[in-house]
Amino acid sequence: MIKPGLKKALFVCLLGLVAFTLPIRKHTTIWMIGDSTMCQYDSSRFPLTGWGMPFAEYFDSSVTIKNEARGGRSTRTFIGENRWQKVADNLSAGDYVFIQFGHNDEAKNYPDRYTPPEDYRKNLMKFITQLREKKALPVLITPVSRRKFDSSGNAIETHEVYSKIVREVAAQMNVPLIDLDAMSLKLLQRFGEKNSTLLFMQLLPGENPDYPLGIHDNTHFNAYGARHIAELILQGINDLHLELSDRIFKKS
Amino acid sequence: MPFAILFLIMSFVLPEKQETTVYLIGDSTMADKEVKAYPETGWGMPFHYFFDSTVAVDNRAKNGRSTRTFIEEGRWKPVVENLKEGDYVLIQFGHNDEVPTKKSYTTPQQFTANLVKFVTESRNKKAVPVLITPVARRKFDSSGKIEETHAIYTQLVKDVAAKYKVPLIDLDKKSQELLQQFGPDDSKYLYNYLAPGENPHYPEGHKDDTHFSELGARKMAEIVLSEIKNLNLDLAQHIRVVHQKEKK
Repeated sequence: MIKPGLKKALFVCLLGLVAFTLPIRKHTTIWMIGDSTMCQYDSSRFPLTGWGMPFAEYFDSSVTIKNEARGGRSTRTFIGENRWQKVADNLSAGDYVFIQFGHNDEAKNYPDRYTPPEDYRKNLMKFITQLREKKALPVLITPVSRRKFDSSGNAIETHEVYSKIVREVAAQMNVPLIDLDAMSLKLLQRFGEKNSTLLFMQLLPGENPDYPLGIHDNTHFNAYGARHIAELILQGINDLHLELSDRIFKKS
Repeated sequence: MPFAILFLIMSFVLPEKQETTVYLIGDSTMADKEVKAYPETGWGMPFHYFFDSTVAVDNRAKNGRSTRTFIEEGRWKPVVENLKEGDYVLIQFGHNDEVPTKKSYTTPQQFTANLVKFVTESRNKKAVPVLITPVARRKFDSSGKIEETHAIYTQLVKDVAAKYKVPLIDLDKKSQELLQQFGPDDSKYLYNYLAPGENPHYPEGHKDDTHFSELGARKMAEIVLSEIKNLNLDLAQHIRVVHQKEKK
C-alpha cells in the first residue's frame, strides 16, 4: 500500500520523466510548389488527384501541409503570377519547401508556360536562395514521369533535359534531392505498359459520370496513382534521413 | 425595410430545394475509413462524389457489422428516424452475417428477416430501399476462374428483392465479372495489397482479398452508379451531368 502523498510524488516524478522522454516537436509546415501532378483538385474532377493530396495523410500532427501547386504552372509563371512571393513571405524558419516543376517549363508547344532550360535553372536557384534566407529547408524533386513505353515495353524517360537540371542544381547548391522521375519510371516499369494505365486518368466513355466521353491521359494521376507517387516521396524523405522523416506516421 | 420586402419576395420566388439523402448501410466494404487505415477504401467513399447538389450521401456503413449487429448497436434506428419521403436506403450486408465463426454471425433466417425489416421500415417512411448483394471477395480457382464467395447470402438478398419487389443491384455478380476481367494477378490492384515498407500505415505490408484500394473502391462505386441508371431510379436523374470538352 503506497501512501497518498508518496503516490503524488511518484506521479510528479513520472510526469517529469515523460516530459524528457517524449521529444517535444516544434511545429513545421511543408510548402508544396509545383504543377498539376502535385496540386489539390476539387471533388468535381474526381478521380483526378495530385500526389500532394494523399501525401498529406501520412504525417503526425506536428506537420501542416500547404499545397500551393497549381495546374499548368511552370517555374516562370509560378513566379510571374506572384505565387512564389506569397509562399516566400509566409515562410518560417524550419519550414520545408518541396519543389517539383518541369512538365510545363519544358512544353515548347505552350509558349505561355514554356521556360527555356537556363531560365528554369535560374528559377530553381532563386527559390532555394530566397527560402534559405528565411531559414527554410528546400527539397528538390525531379518531375514525375509521364507514361510512355517503347515498342519492346520499356518505360521511356520523358523529362531528360529538365530532370538533369534539377539534379545539377541540387548537387551544386547542396539541396536534398528526391529523384521522382527515376523512381516513378521504375514504378511504371514494374506495372508494365498495360497495367500502368491503372495509375493514370484513363477512363472509358460512360465509365465515370465526371468524364462522360472518357479520358486517355498519360500525365495526370487518379487517386490510386497519386497515392503510389506519394509513397515514393515518403520513401525519398526516409532515404534522405531528413528530420521530417521522424514526423511520418509511425504505427505503434 | 426594402431589404425585408425583397427577402420576403425571394422566399416565395426561390423554390425551396428539397434535398434527397441517400443512406448507405452496410459493412467495411462500403464504409468510410479513418485516415490511419488509408489506402483501404470503402466503395461508399468515391460514391459521395457523383451526384448533383440536390443529393447528399450519408454513409452509415461500419466495419465488421452484420445486419444483426447493425440493428443491435442502434445504428438502424437513427436512419429510420431521419428518413423522409423520397430518400434512398442502399443496403449491402453479408460479409459478416455469413461467417459462423464471427461474433456478427446472423443465421439465414435472421438475415432475411433483417433485410425485410430494413425494406419495410424504409417504405413506411416513403423512402426507397435498394438491395445490393455483397461485393465479391478476390478468390480464384486453380484454372483462374473467379469463385462465388457469398452463394447463400447473395441468394437471400435476391429472394427478398423478388418477394418484396425491391430494386436490386447484383453487385456480387457484377464485381465478379470485373475481377474475372482483371484476372487472378491483376485483380490485386483492386484490393488493398501493399509491399512491406511501401506505406507507413502498413509497415509490414498487407494482403487483403476483401477490402479495396482506391482503384477497386472507385470501380465498385461506378458499378453501383451504372446499375442505378439501369434500374431507372429517380436518383439516376441526380447523377451529376458534366459537359466534358472534346479533346482537340
